[in-house]
Amino acid sequence: MIKFQNVSKSYANKIKILRGINLHVKVGEFVSIVGQSGAGKTTLVKVLIGEERVSEGQIVIGDWDITKIRRHDVPFLRRQIGVIFQDFKLLPKKTLKENISFALEVCGAPSAKIKKIVPSVLKIVGLEDKGDRYPREVSGGEQQRAAIARALVHQPKILLADEPTGNLDAINADEIIDLLLRINKFGTTVILVTHNKDIVNRLNRRVVTMDKGVIISDKEHGKYLL
Amino acid sequence: MLSFLRIIKFSFQDIVRNIWLSIVTITILILALFSINMLLTVKLVSQNAVEAVKEKINISLYFNADASEATILDVRQKVEAMPDVKEAVFISKNAALENFRNNNKNNPEILNALKELGKNPLSPSLIITPKDFDNSSRLITSLKVLESDAIESRDFSDNSTILEKINFITARVNEIGLFLILIFVLTSLLVVYNAIRVAIYTHRQEIEIMRLVGASNFFIYMPYLFSAFIYALVSIFIIIISFYPFLTILQPYLEVFFTGYSVNILTYYVNNFGTIFGLQFLAVFGITLIASLLAARKYAKV
Repeated sequence: MIKFQNVSKSYANKIKILRGINLHVKVGEFVSIVGQSGAGKTTLVKVLIGEERVSEGQIVIGDWDITKIRRHDVPFLRRQIGVIFQDFKLLPKKTLKENISFALEVCGAPSAKIKKIVPSVLKIVGLEDKGDRYPREVSGGEQQRAAIARALVHQPKILLADEPTGNLDAINADEIIDLLLRINKFGTTVILVTHNKDIVNRLNRRVVTMDKGVIISDKEHGKYLL
Repeated sequence: MLSFLRIIKFSFQDIVRNIWLSIVTITILILALFSINMLLTVKLVSQNAVEAVKEKINISLYFNADASEATILDVRQKVEAMPDVKEAVFISKNAALENFRNNNKNNPEILNALKELGKNPLSPSLIITPKDFDNSSRLITSLKVLESDAIESRDFSDNSTILEKINFITARVNEIGLFLILIFVLTSLLVVYNAIRVAIYTHRQEIEIMRLVGASNFFIYMPYLFSAFIYALVSIFIIIISFYPFLTILQPYLEVFFTGYSVNILTYYVNNFGTIFGLQFLAVFGITLIASLLAARKYAKV
C-alpha cells in the first residue's frame, strides 16, 4: 500500500529531518508512528500528503510514485488520503455539516452527491444530530469527529491522523481512537502519529518508533518505547 | 458549471467580507480611469484647437489695383504649380469689397467711411491654401521669391507660432497626463495586489482546508481572479455613469470657447463608446488580473 524506500528529507540548512526511512504499510493496517518532538513524525506526514518533497528516496502509494509528483496532481493525492490534525482545522463560521460539505464543494462534487454523503459520514462519526451546530457549540471530541467525517468524504484508502488526541481529554481521546479503529475495520488503512503512550499501549497494534529522523523500532504488536 | 457558480459565490464572499478594501480598490481604479478619460478629453480639445487655428492661417498675395485679371491668373497658375499649394483662390476687387461689406455689416462707421471714399480701395488678391499647414513655412519662402510686377504686397500672417505653441502645450499635457496615468496604473496594481493579499489573508484558514481536502489550484485561485474581474467591471460601470454627466457639463463651455467650430466631445464619446470603454475595461481587467494572479500565486500557498 505505502512504501518508503530509503527516504531522506533535509532543508536548506542541510539538517536531515528524515534519514533513510524504509517503511512498508500494508492495505488495511493500523500503524502508530511514535516518537518525541523533533523525531520527524510530522515531516513524514507532510511528505506523504505532498506538502513537502523528499530529498532522496522514493515513496509509492499503491502504484503511484509520489516522489516527483507534479503540482497539479497533489489535489488528487490528497483526495485519496484523509488527514486529521490536533487542532481539528474546522471553519468556525460554518456548521459541522457545512464544514463537511465544504470539502466536497471545493472539489467540484455535485450537490446531489453532497446531500447524500454528508449525512452518512456524520452518522459514521456519531454526529448525525449535531450537524447544524457550530464548532464552538460542541466539545473538542466532537470537533475531532467532525474533522474525521470531513476526512472521510472522499472515501479515502488511507486515513492519516497527526496527533488527533493532542487537544483532548482521556475520555474523548479514547472515543476518537475507537472511531479510528472502527474506520480501520471497514478496510481503511490508518496511520496514527502520536506521542500518547497510553493510547499506543492500549491499541496493541503495529508501532513504528522514530528518533532523530530514523526508524529505531518497528514492532507488529508494539508498545511505546521512549 | 457547478464549480464556476461556486467560484462566483466564493468571489462575492471575498468582496463582501472585505467591503472597505473593495471600495478603496474600486475608487483607485476609478481615479485611474478618470485621469485616462481626462487626458483623452484634453487631447480631443487640443486637436480641435489646432484645427481651428489652422483654418485661420492666411497666406495671401495682394495685387496692384490696376493689375489685369490675365496677369493675376498667370500668377495664380504659377502659384498652383508649386508643390506645397493645395489651391489658390482669386478674389477680385469687387468680390473683396463685397466680402468687406459683409464682414462689417454691423459696423456703420466703417461702411460710411467706405462710402465717403467714393471708390473701391481694396486690391484683388489670391488666397492660398497650403497642402500641409504644419509645413507652410516652405511655401511662404517660395512665395517670397515669386517675381511679378503686379504683386503689391504679400501677407503671410503666419499662425505657425501659435500652432507650435498649441502643439507644445498639447505635448506637455500629454506627457504630464501619461505620467499621471502611469502613477495611477502602478498605484492600482499595488492596491489590487494588496486587496487580494488581504482577502487571501482573511481566507487563509479556508485555503488551508481547501488544500488539505484536495481542492485544485484552479478552484483556490479563481475566486480571486474573478474578484479582479468584478473590480474592473464595477469601476468601468461607475466611470461610464459619472463621466457622461461631466462631459454634459463641460460641453457648453467648449462650445462657447470654440464658437464657430464644431467641437462635440460628448458626441465623440457616444460614437466611440465601445472602443473607448471596451479598451479601458480590457486595460483595467488586465492590471487587476496581473495583480491578483501575482498575489494569489505568492500568498495562497498556505
